[in-house]
Amino acid sequence: MKQKADRLLVGGFVAALFLISLTFFLLPITRFSELENRTLQAAPKFTWDNLISKKFAEDAESFVTDHFPYRGDWVWMKSSIEQLRLQQENNGIYKGKDGYLFEKFAKPDYTKVQQYIEAINLFAASHPEVSTTFMLAPTSVGMYPDRLPWKAPFYSEEKVNNVIADQLNNSLTFMNGFDFLRPHATESIYYRTDHHWTTLGAYYAYSAYAKQMGWQPLSLKEFQVATVSDSFLGSFHTRSQFSGLTPDQIQAFLPTKPVHSEMYIADTDKTLNTLYDDSFLRKKDQYSYFMGGVHALTTIKSDLDPQSVDLDKLLIVKDSYAHSFIPFLTQHVSEIHVIDIRYYNGTIGDYMTANGIRNVLLLFNTATFVDNGEILKIDN
Amino acid sequence: MVFSSLIFLFVFLPAVLLLYYCSPWRIKNLILFLTSLVFYAWGEPVYIVIMLISTVTDYSFGLLLSNPRLKPIQRKWIVVFSIIVNLALLSYFKYADFLIHNVNDLLGTDIPLTELALPIGISFYTFQSMSYIIDIYRGTAKAQRNWIDFATFVALFPQLVAGPIVHYKTVSEQLRKRSINIEMFAEGVRSFIIGLAKKVLLANNIGLLWHAISETDSGSLPVLTAWLGIIAFAFQIYFDFSGYSDMAIGLGLMFGFRFNENFNKPYTAQSITDFWRRWHISLSSWFRDYVYIPLGGNRRGLGKQLRNILIVWLLTGIWHGASWNFLLWGLYFGVILIFEKWWVLKLLERTPRWVRHIYAILLILIGWVLFAFEDLPLISEYLQAMIGLTGQPFWDDNTLYFAYTNAILLAVLVIASMPWRKLSAAPASGKGAILNLIWCGLLFFLSVSYLVDATFNPFLYFRF
Repeated sequence: MKQKADRLLVGGFVAALFLISLTFFLLPITRFSELENRTLQAAPKFTWDNLISKKFAEDAESFVTDHFPYRGDWVWMKSSIEQLRLQQENNGIYKGKDGYLFEKFAKPDYTKVQQYIEAINLFAASHPEVSTTFMLAPTSVGMYPDRLPWKAPFYSEEKVNNVIADQLNNSLTFMNGFDFLRPHATESIYYRTDHHWTTLGAYYAYSAYAKQMGWQPLSLKEFQVATVSDSFLGSFHTRSQFSGLTPDQIQAFLPTKPVHSEMYIADTDKTLNTLYDDSFLRKKDQYSYFMGGVHALTTIKSDLDPQSVDLDKLLIVKDSYAHSFIPFLTQHVSEIHVIDIRYYNGTIGDYMTANGIRNVLLLFNTATFVDNGEILKIDN
Repeated sequence: MVFSSLIFLFVFLPAVLLLYYCSPWRIKNLILFLTSLVFYAWGEPVYIVIMLISTVTDYSFGLLLSNPRLKPIQRKWIVVFSIIVNLALLSYFKYADFLIHNVNDLLGTDIPLTELALPIGISFYTFQSMSYIIDIYRGTAKAQRNWIDFATFVALFPQLVAGPIVHYKTVSEQLRKRSINIEMFAEGVRSFIIGLAKKVLLANNIGLLWHAISETDSGSLPVLTAWLGIIAFAFQIYFDFSGYSDMAIGLGLMFGFRFNENFNKPYTAQSITDFWRRWHISLSSWFRDYVYIPLGGNRRGLGKQLRNILIVWLLTGIWHGASWNFLLWGLYFGVILIFEKWWVLKLLERTPRWVRHIYAILLILIGWVLFAFEDLPLISEYLQAMIGLTGQPFWDDNTLYFAYTNAILLAVLVIASMPWRKLSAAPASGKGAILNLIWCGLLFFLSVSYLVDATFNPFLYFRF
């Protein structure tokens, strides 16, 4: 019996090595991973320079791991075992209560946060003719720490927002997301499987912003709510690969009195007749349905009835929270300029002068804001 | 390359097995040598030269030593010279910057650092080469005339980068002639899979807990969290290191080599003396055979014995890394061992088993604090947190979270540290053999899924 078992073990082990190896070399190479939402490593190129600099070795290793047969299933397997052993997190994502996933939020580096605040203060001070509003929205973990797994460590985003609020100059208006989102905390204002707010969450932000600007926001009744997807498993799912999740719905709020808008994407030099890109609803990254995802510079022109124009030009410097928020503004602003500060290489001050901008909205979520130095570019 | 990587498992290993088993006996060592070079060059394309230089010098010294017309004094000088060459290589790459740094601090000089990266495995292969020369000098082994066979001994990829440190005399016969059969290969597969599982499933996961705790400021750690942290580290280092040794031993068996065991359930130790007979055996036996005994061991009176113990343990400490904490760590164990020899062991004999066990575990854990932090102030802070001198509560919410999310893993770690019969020695009976087979298959499957996940690298528009 022992001999038979030995033979089986050796045979099985060697067969597993060779079979997986063969599958790896025979399966067609995919270039893009939907699951991970990134381009995969291309086959390594052998040159002596690459060999000496270890680039060849590194590329070859990434190549093997990126194209490993049935990669998604292996990852799913690991995630399931982790849950079985009572681990409440996987790859930095907590599995919270009521079907919510959360990203860990740790104490930020306050010396850096201080620098970001100073950059914004400086920006406001050096453009006194411009009215600047800074909207800082919490992410879901900031709003629902009570839905985290039992005793899970977290740092309060509210504390961070308050620190930031205290240190901003009076020359700009600060809108703390907790103020206008908390009254609606029981509603679905955040996706459960993604790091963004839902369209409803964005609506409440819009409503608060409009009031702040002295405009009359549209009421919920003035929209027809269309559910454009009920299969959205967002970035939290992508990272954690937790199983047994209920997918999120994505909704589009379509005004009963629609306004025609044209969106010009400077990166690709394309003009679109809509702010929504349906093609993303069939992909992994469904949130990119809003405004077609991330672009460095976008301008949106809306054919508003001259009487209902509240503002002619607005510049929004933002992270991706703005994508579902901006469509609401087309009801009030005839020309919206949108800059993603991470990808935009020009100087924002110059852009404002060139385009006659007198109103600026900075829109970020707390997690992005404290963790990304790109905001320092704002007062270049 | 490391064993616990997909490219090793599914590209390198199948290729080497194929080459090795398709070639005639004559060139099997050559195949092993060449593939080992590829294995080494993968991570160290430049430093491979240093390994080859070390190999060529020791091969030549070995040949010189085997000349029967040499006078004893000449033989002695050859050994001394060879050891100097090996230690010089090791010191230059491993200890130069540590020395320069301390000299600069002490004398206020400004000697520039060499800033060289440590060549992978240099601490292991220089020790193997030295064992070769000394074995020949002592007559316990014959000089290897075949250059390829000797180079295979030094470069053999299973033990090249992290041991076990193979003493030349244990493999000299096998280098010339070895048999391979299904039984041995199967034992190798079992040993390899168990090692892989130890590393990937146990060490890496408990390592995350240690990482989370060690990166917190020690001053704010509750007592229980500090203990949980160092226990996590103890498990991490044991399962990581012994897992790597098991994989090395398993791979050796697949190619017909039988290396000695490197770990023997160290956390079941009843004293520190016992612990060091069970932990990294190939290193402690190296120091015993090539330092402690030549210095006179315990045969020249108590005073000399104490001196010898201290020398061996300071060397053991500094072997682990060029930093003061490793010296301190070695000294710590040296002193404990002296006390144990003096009277503690006799005292322990009269206590129940569980007292001896707790005594050993406590001292081992404190030892790991010295090992884990390179900064001496951090060591002191962490120890204070463990004793409760930092004014923190006994536990907090974090402690609870860490404890319950790792409870099952910790239970598995405890069970896996106990003295069960070795899984790699499969039972002969029908049912046992089948169960063992299923178990190995499952462990391999799970290990691969954790390996794949470790490289899972989603790109998310997280921030923008």
